[in-house]
Amino acid sequence: MKTMIQTLRDFKLIFQLIRSSKDAPGAEVYTDMLQKNMTPYITTQVSAHNAKRKIAESSPTPGEFLQKYEELKSKNVRDLDPLVHLLSKICEDAQVKNYLKTNAEERAAASGVTLTAPSAVLSLLPTPGTQMSHDELAKIKAQLMKVTSNTGAITPAGSLRKVINERLSAKNMNLPAQPDWIFSRPYLTMDFVHDAEPPDPDVVPVGSMPISAQEMVILEDLLYCMEGIEGRYIQALPLTDRYAQRDFRVDQTLDPSLREAVKRVLPLCSNYSTVIRFIEEKQAFEYGLVNHALSASMRNLIQGQLSLQKLWFYVQPTMSTMEILASVASAVNRACVPYFEILEKWMFKGIIVDPYCEYIRSYWEQHYTICRERVPIFLERVADKILNAGKYLNVVRQCGRDVHCPLAEEIVYTLTERKYFEHIENAYNYASKLLLDLLMEEKELLARLKSIKHYFLLDQGDFIVQFLDMAEEEMKKPMEEIIPTRLETLLELALRTSTANVDPYKDDLRVDLLSYDLVTQLFKILTIETKLEKEYRVDPADLHLSGLEAFSFDYMVKWPVSLVINRRALTRYQMLFRHLFYCKHVERQLCNVWISNKSAKMFTLYSTRWYASAFALRQRMLNFVQNFEYYMMFEVIEPSWHVFQTNMETVSNIDDVVAYHSDFLNNCLTDCMLTNPQLLKIVHKLMLICVTFSNFIQRLNETTNVDLEVKKLTRVASLGVAQTSKDHKDESMKKKATSKVVLEHVDQMASSENFERTINNFDSNFSHHLVDLLTKIMDFRGDHSEHKLMNIMYRLDFNNFYTAKLESASAENSGDAGLRDVSKHSSKLLSVAHMSVLGHVCTKTDWFADVEPTLNRLIGLFADVEPTLDRLIRLPTLDRFVDVGLLEKICRTNG
Amino acid sequence: MPREIITLQLGQCGNQIGMEFWKQLCAEHGISPEGILEDFATEGTDRKDVFFYQADDEHYIPRSVLIDLEPRVINSIMTSAYANLYNPENIYMSKDGGGAGNNWASGFTQGEGVYEEVFDIIDREADGSDSLEGFVVCHSIAGGTGSGMGSYILEKLNDRFPKKLIQTYSVFPNQDEISDVVVQPYNSLLTLKRLTQNADCVVVLDNTALHRIAAERLHIDTPTFAQINHLVSTVMATSTTTLRYPGYMNNDLIGLIASLIPTPRLHFLMTGYTPLTTDTQVASIRKTTVLDVMRRLLQPKNMMVSTPVHRQANHCYIAILNIIQGEVDPTQVHKSLQRIRERKLAQFIPWGPASIQVALSRKSPYVQTAHRVSGLMLANHTSISDLFERCVRQYDKLRKREAFLDQFKRTPIFKDNLDEFDDSREVLQQLIDEYHAATKSDYITWGTQQVLRRRIYIDVKDVLACGASWDEKLPE
Repeated sequence: MKTMIQTLRDFKLIFQLIRSSKDAPGAEVYTDMLQKNMTPYITTQVSAHNAKRKIAESSPTPGEFLQKYEELKSKNVRDLDPLVHLLSKICEDAQVKNYLKTNAEERAAASGVTLTAPSAVLSLLPTPGTQMSHDELAKIKAQLMKVTSNTGAITPAGSLRKVINERLSAKNMNLPAQPDWIFSRPYLTMDFVHDAEPPDPDVVPVGSMPISAQEMVILEDLLYCMEGIEGRYIQALPLTDRYAQRDFRVDQTLDPSLREAVKRVLPLCSNYSTVIRFIEEKQAFEYGLVNHALSASMRNLIQGQLSLQKLWFYVQPTMSTMEILASVASAVNRACVPYFEILEKWMFKGIIVDPYCEYIRSYWEQHYTICRERVPIFLERVADKILNAGKYLNVVRQCGRDVHCPLAEEIVYTLTERKYFEHIENAYNYASKLLLDLLMEEKELLARLKSIKHYFLLDQGDFIVQFLDMAEEEMKKPMEEIIPTRLETLLELALRTSTANVDPYKDDLRVDLLSYDLVTQLFKILTIETKLEKEYRVDPADLHLSGLEAFSFDYMVKWPVSLVINRRALTRYQMLFRHLFYCKHVERQLCNVWISNKSAKMFTLYSTRWYASAFALRQRMLNFVQNFEYYMMFEVIEPSWHVFQTNMETVSNIDDVVAYHSDFLNNCLTDCMLTNPQLLKIVHKLMLICVTFSNFIQRLNETTNVDLEVKKLTRVASLGVAQTSKDHKDESMKKKATSKVVLEHVDQMASSENFERTINNFDSNFSHHLVDLLTKIMDFRGDHSEHKLMNIMYRLDFNNFYTAKLESASAENSGDAGLRDVSKHSSKLLSVAHMSVLGHVCTKTDWFADVEPTLNRLIGLFADVEPTLDRLIRLPTLDRFVDVGLLEKICRTNG
Repeated sequence: MPREIITLQLGQCGNQIGMEFWKQLCAEHGISPEGILEDFATEGTDRKDVFFYQADDEHYIPRSVLIDLEPRVINSIMTSAYANLYNPENIYMSKDGGGAGNNWASGFTQGEGVYEEVFDIIDREADGSDSLEGFVVCHSIAGGTGSGMGSYILEKLNDRFPKKLIQTYSVFPNQDEISDVVVQPYNSLLTLKRLTQNADCVVVLDNTALHRIAAERLHIDTPTFAQINHLVSTVMATSTTTLRYPGYMNNDLIGLIASLIPTPRLHFLMTGYTPLTTDTQVASIRKTTVLDVMRRLLQPKNMMVSTPVHRQANHCYIAILNIIQGEVDPTQVHKSLQRIRERKLAQFIPWGPASIQVALSRKSPYVQTAHRVSGLMLANHTSISDLFERCVRQYDKLRKREAFLDQFKRTPIFKDNLDEFDDSREVLQQLIDEYHAATKSDYITWGTQQVLRRRIYIDVKDVLACGASWDEKLPE
C-alpha cells in the first residue's frame, strides 16, 4: 500500500518535473529517457550499490543517506533500488539537479515553507526501472499529448465556445453568461469525441472472428455509435465543418454482407450526430426559445434497441424521424428565432412584425391570409386561430384602442402537452371577445343591422309608403332625367316624417341609381367568369331604365362595422331591396286601380259588365303580388332573421357573425328567387303585366272622364244653395241623368270589342305566365323536396283555383289554347242565343195580355237555356252548330 | 306625411263607440286623456300621426269629428276625463237638440240642413292633413242620426272626396230583442243602400253577435253598453294596428282593404276576435299558438256577425285577413296556413284565387294583455247576405202593412212617393243576389248574364211600350 502511494508520489514528482520544464526539453525527451531507463530496471544489487555510492558521494551528508538507505532496505521497501538508481542518475545529471534545486527553492519561496532537504524526498523515490506498465505509460503519453496539442482536430467544446463567442460579438445581446466548464469539458457532449486514442492493441481484426461473433461485435459498435460513442470497429471521422455530415470508417475486415447492413444504418448515426450537434448548439441562451424548445423536444426523441436486421427494422421509423429532424435542424437554423416572436406580437397585440411576409399577409378575408405552405406543421391546426386572433386585435387597434391581452403568455413549443395550443386558444378567445364586444356594444352592430332591415327589407313599411308617396312621380321618369339630389331630399323628408325618425342611423341611408335593373344585375352576377359574361355586359343606355328600375338604397358603413356589413352584403341587401321595392310599387299601382274603380259600386248592376273581367283580373294580380310579398316577408325574411338573431345570441367571434349574416342574406336571396334567373324572369314579366294593366285601366279612366263628370255634377249640385225637397229631387234627377250619360259612355266603351279583347289579352298573358311560374316551382320541388319556394304554391293557390290550370298545363300545353278557343266561342254563342231568343220573344209577345208573367217566364226560360249553353261551351266545335239549332228548338217550344 | 284618416262619429252609437276607440288608441300610444304624451311613451316607434295630430302645444288631438243631433252623448264625453282630448271646433251638435227621433228620414233631412256647417269642419280637417287617405265613419244603421244623417254624409263624402277611401264601422241592430225603434227595418234598409253605394268598406258590427259573444264567451248575462263598446273598440283598434305600428305589409288603409274586396260592391266585412276576455276574467293557462288563433278565428262563435249556418247555400270566404299580434314565431305562420288548407277549414270562392293573408303586427307596449297572442280576422264572407236578407224580410213585413210610414211621408224625400224605399230595396236585393252569385264559379260572367237579362227586360219593355203599333207591323 505504502509503496503504491510512494510510486504515485514518484510519478507526481516526475510530472511536476516535466511540467515545470516545459519550455526546456520536449516531453518526448523525458519519455525517451524513461523508456531508455526501462531496460536496466531489473538491475542487480551491484547497480544499486553503485548508485548508493554515487549518491553518498554527491551528498553533503552521506552518513545520513546511507543510514536511511539501510533503514529502508531493512524494511524491504519496494522499488528502493530503482529510486536510488534514479537519484544517482539525477546526481550525475547536473542539469536536472540544478533545475530541481531552483525549482524547489522557487516553490519554497512561493509557499513560504523552508526547504527540506531534497534528499529526504528523493530517497522516497523508487528506483527507476522497477515497474512501469505499458498502460501507465500510454496514459501518460495521451495526457501529455492532450495538454500539448492546442491545435489540430476540432473538439466539440472548443468549437462551441468559438461559435458562441462569434455570435456574442455579432449580436451584442444581453444574455446570461454560460459557465466555463461547459466549454472546458469535452466529454459533456453527446456527440463523438475525437481523442485520437491510439488503436487498442488488443483489438483483433474483426475479420478474424466467426460471422456470428462479428455480428455481435459490430452490433455493439453500432449501438455505441448511435449513442455518439465510437466503437472498436466503427470509427467516426473528424468533421470538416460544423454542420457537415459525419462520416464513419468501418473496419475493412468485416464481413461484406454485414458491412452493407452497417452502411445502411450508419446514416442514422450520422444524422444522430447532426442532431446532437444541433441540439447542443441551439440550447445556448442566445438561440431563443424556439430553438430551445426544438432542441429539447429533439432530445426527447432521441432514445435507444437487436439482431442487426431487427435493429434495422426498429430503426426505420427513427431513421426518417432523424432525417427530418436533421433537415429541420439545418433548415430552421436561420429562420426559427424570430418566428414565435412574430406570433406572440400578432396574437397578443395584433401587430404584424413580419416585414418580409414570411408568415402572415395583410387584410381581412383577402387582406389577412395565411401562407399555408409556410405554416409549420405543429401550428397547422391552430393556424386559423392564430390568424383570426391577430386579425381581431388588429381591427381593435385600428379603431384607436390599445390592446393589452391579460392572458399574454410566452408561447413555448412542447411536443407532448401542447400547452401552446392552450395559450393560442386563450389569446384567440380574448381577441374574438374583445372585437365582438367592440362591434356589438360600442358599435351596436345589431341595432345597425336592424336599421338596415328597416330600409332594405322594408320591415317598417310606413317609411317606404311615405317615400313612394312623395317620390313615385319622380321615379317614373327615365333614369337620365332624374335628379338624384331631389330624390335625396325626398328620402330625407320621408325619413324624418316616418317612424324611421327615431332610428339613430337613418342618416347613413343614401340614394343610389344603378345603371342596370335587377334582372340584368342578377344575370351579371351569375354569369361572372362564364362564357356568357360578355353577353350581359349591356350598355346601360340600351336598357332605358325608369327611375323605379334603377333605384336602390345605399348605406354608409364605417369601419369596423364594414367588416360585417361589407360591400358584398350590401349588394345582396340592394338586390333584395330592389325586388321588394318593385313588388311594393306594383302593389300600389294595383291599389290605385282599385281606388279609381271603386266608383263602380255606384252604378247599377247592369253596367258592371266590362268591369267584371277587369276586376277579376285585378284581383288575381293583387292576390299574386301581395301573396308574393307576404311570402317573401313573412316566410323568408322574417324567419331567416329570427334564426339569425338566435344565432347572434350565442355567437362568440366576429367571423361567425359574418358567416351567420351572410347565411341570412343567402337564404333570403335563394328563397326570394334571386338566385334563380329563370324564375325571376317570369316574376318580373308578371309584374310588368300588372303594371301595364294598371296603366291601361288608369288611362281608360282618364279618357272616359267618369270622375270628371261625376265631379261636375256634384259641383253643380252643391251650388244649388236651396236645400228644398224640390232641389233635392232636381239634384237626384240630374244625378241620375248624368250617371246615365256616364253609364252609356261606359257601356259604349265596354261594348267595344277592343276593350274586351285587351282585357282578355292581359288575362291570358297573366294566367299563362303565372301557370308557367307555378309549374316551374313545381318542377323545382322535384330536385329540392323541402324547398321553401313551395310555400308560394300554397299561398298563391290556397283555394286550388289554379290547380286545374296547372294540371291541364302539365297534361298538355295545347290544352291552354283550346280553352281560350272555347271561351271565345262561348261569347259568340251567347250573343247568337240572345238574338234568337229575342227574335222569338218579339214575335210572340203580343199573344200575351199580361206583361209581367211573360217576362218572368222569359227569365225562367233563360235559366233553362243556360245549362245548355254551358254544355255547348264544352262541346267540340263541330257539334256546336247542331246544338244551336237545338237551343232554338227549346226556345221555340217554350215560347 | 302620414296617410291620415279622419274619423266621423255620428249619432249616439257612433259617438259612444268612437269614444271607446279613442280611449283605446290613447292607451295604446301612451297618450293621457288630456292628449299629453306620457313620459314612458316618448321613445315609441309607433305612428300616432295617422289618427292624431299635434297641436302647437304638443297636445295630441284626434282627427275626429263628433256629430250628433242631440247633445246627450257628446255632453257625457265632454264631462268625462277625455273632455280636453278633442278639438272643440270639431264637435257639431244640433242647435235645437231634438235629435232625429230614430227616424232615418228625419236624420237625412237634418243632414241636408247642417251640411254646410258639418262639411266646413270636415274640409278644414281634410285640408289640415298632408295626404289624406280616407274617412272612418262610426254609426249605427238602426237609429235616426247615425243612419239618416250618416247616409246623407256618406253620399256627400263620396261626391266630395271621390278618391278617398270611406270605411265605416256600422253597428247592426240586435235581432234577438224587440227594439223600441219600431221603424228600425226602414232605417236599416235605407242606410244599407248608402253603405252599398257610397262606402268603400263596411265593417259590420252585429249587435246580435256582440250580445251573444258577451253572453256565451264572456259570461255576461246583461252586458252593458260599455262592455259591448269595449268589444267594438278592440276590433276597431286592432284593425288599424298595422297602420299605427308599421310592419312589412298593410301600412296603408288601401293595402289593407284592396285585397279583401275584389269587386266594389261586395265590401261588407265580418270580424272575429280571439281571445275574448273581460277585465275580470283570468287568463287561460293554455299556450296560444298562431294556429290556435287562426283556427279559433274561423269558428263562427268568435265572429262578430251572427249568420245562421246553412250548408246548402255554399257560402264561402271571398278573402280573409288575419292580423296577429303578440309574440309570434314567424315560422309558425306557414305551418298554420298549410294546416288550414289541408283540413279545408275555410271554404273559398271558386272564381278566383283567395287566401288567408296573415299580417303579423306589433302590439302596444303600454297596454298589458293577459294573452301572448291575439288575433283579429277581417273576412269577406258571402254569408253576410243573410243579414241583408233578414233586413229585407223585416222591411217587407212592415212595408206590406204600410206600418209607420206616416212619419216618413212627412219628410221631403217621401213626400211625393215612396220610390226611395223601392230603390233601396232593389239595391239591397241586387247586393244579396251578387253575394249569392259570388258563391258560384261563374260569378265573373254573372254580371254579363244579368246584363243580358236586363237587355231582354228592357227590349221587351220597349216592345210592350210600343204596344199596338207593333202589332200592326209584326207579321204573324
